[in-house]
Amino acid sequence: MGIHNLAKLIADHAPNAMKEHEMKSYFGRKIAIDASMCIYQFLIAVRSDGAQLANEDGEVTSHLVGLFYRTIRMIDNGIKPVYVFDGKPPELKSGELVKRKERREEAEKELEKAKEAGDTEGVQKFERRLVRATPQHNEDCKSLLKLMGVPYVEAPGEAEAQCVALVNGGKVFAVGTEDMDALTFGTNVMLRHLTASEAKKLPVQEYSFNRVLEGLELTHDQFIDLCILMGCDYCGTIRGIGPKRAIELIQKHKTIEAVLENIDQKKYPPPEEWLFKEARELFKNPDVTPADEIELKWNDPDEEGVVEFMCKKFGFNEERIRNGCQKLKKGRKGATQGRLDNFFKVIPSNNNNKRKADDMKGKKSKKVKKGK
Amino acid sequence: MFEARLQQGGLLKKILEAVRELVSDGLWDCDGSAITLQGMDSSHVALVEMYLRAEAFDHYRCDRNVSLGMNHAHLSKILKCANNDDIITLKAADQDPDTCSLILESKGGEKTSDFVVNLVRIDADQLGIPETEYSAHIKMSAGEFQRICRDLSQFGDAVQISCSKQEVKFSSTGETGAANITLSHSATVDKEEESVTVDLKEPVDLTFALRFLNLFSKASPISEMVTLSLSQDAPLVVEYKIGDSGHIRYFLAPKIQEDE
Repeated sequence: MGIHNLAKLIADHAPNAMKEHEMKSYFGRKIAIDASMCIYQFLIAVRSDGAQLANEDGEVTSHLVGLFYRTIRMIDNGIKPVYVFDGKPPELKSGELVKRKERREEAEKELEKAKEAGDTEGVQKFERRLVRATPQHNEDCKSLLKLMGVPYVEAPGEAEAQCVALVNGGKVFAVGTEDMDALTFGTNVMLRHLTASEAKKLPVQEYSFNRVLEGLELTHDQFIDLCILMGCDYCGTIRGIGPKRAIELIQKHKTIEAVLENIDQKKYPPPEEWLFKEARELFKNPDVTPADEIELKWNDPDEEGVVEFMCKKFGFNEERIRNGCQKLKKGRKGATQGRLDNFFKVIPSNNNNKRKADDMKGKKSKKVKKGK
Repeated sequence: MFEARLQQGGLLKKILEAVRELVSDGLWDCDGSAITLQGMDSSHVALVEMYLRAEAFDHYRCDRNVSLGMNHAHLSKILKCANNDDIITLKAADQDPDTCSLILESKGGEKTSDFVVNLVRIDADQLGIPETEYSAHIKMSAGEFQRICRDLSQFGDAVQISCSKQEVKFSSTGETGAANITLSHSATVDKEEESVTVDLKEPVDLTFALRFLNLFSKASPISEMVTLSLSQDAPLVVEYKIGDSGHIRYFLAPKIQEDE
């Protein structure tokens, strides 16, 4: 699941890299969303009384509720989402997948125990750990998206990597995901909390990759090595080296190879047969479909189709679904407001400004000290 | 240090009124020759650029360039305390000042008020605006433009501006019906403020959100005349001159008909 503690590291070392905006300030933007991540999120989060939503036949519907309403929320705000589904996981990930499987099995055992003990809280906790997006869930979501007129892309490999390819190929503005990997793959702009529940009122967090690199004083290659050291999905890490040590080591030695030469390997043993080179290669050249081979097209929703699918098959309230479709149609109607930043280019902040920002930082920390 | 004294304090009031609803916090950049302010609305649809030359002030001194991050709501509270004929002086220290002082003196000199504004840190992108040749320039009375925008807002939330030959048409369509206002080129009228000049290289036809145009027309007290510059599929420019010593320019992204 992404890179361990990367968000915190960025908040500490590159506070300028993340800005918070309201969702409506992304109107007119096309955004690639990591579908697998958000379907999982819906299965976990969209619940009532701790149980997943289901229709009369006991089929889970949490993912469809989430997808339907949160997509509408984005379209209502003028955003044009495109969903990207995972393809085959890269072989390197198998280690991580085995681990996840083990954890699931463990959770299953714990669940049994909790059930026997009548510990409802425990039951809910372990049930959540068992949640997994199945191929059937993915298929349901694809069918729904098609009816809603929202495009989706099937990635050959990891969905995040494909999203990043779409951003850097100029097809979309940003990646919408919670996993910080998207930055490791090198997306210019990454958005978090885009598919979060409306009730939480979370602002959208926008990460700018260039500012992350600027703040951490790293190149893209060094940043990838940093992420591997911090712990990614593709290989192990050096025991005893956490985020703090990792950033220090990379800033000093630039590459993992140089880090290995310079640390006491007895004290900090690297994993046996450490595949960091392969992991690095995966981040640099992931298996993706080139952006210019992908055509994204948003269509009018097929209201009758959506009603048929959601109400007949999954037993949703017809009136609510029709209301949702009206919003989708409204979002399509009329001209969209253009954005000035599509016409004028942002002037890169000059050194003068940077100096000022540093000064400000200095002042701030001084003030904090005084406060103490 | 930075020091600027303005005889007609009312001008600063008008400038602030013209920007504060569009941009809540603005970076006022002061250098040896002018004060400039550039800011975008939060949705990045509209941009305002204010340029005021040192000559507008009767005393102007700026030893080193300073950027003053102003909270416009706060600045407005101070300027509300000023009469239009008050003399306003702005003062700030040279190196990354934390505050800026404003001194208001009544015309007769019997009353002096001074205020300190805590500056805010502004972390906004600045946009580079390329020099562009526009297909159409329309010069008209600022009051008339304000009136048209206000009137059309009652019928729809967008205005279609189409310019052909010697006339310009403003139209708006809404749920209740449609409204059209046509202005014809009439440069021969005696009074300049009643004339309409249409200078056209190519016909244009664009749609804009009225909400922003209404905000732009808050600058009407600054100048008798306003100039609209348009090109197909490009942002609209609405310009008000500040006497001979500067301007306020607004840029607005058009609405785009997408055929996806």
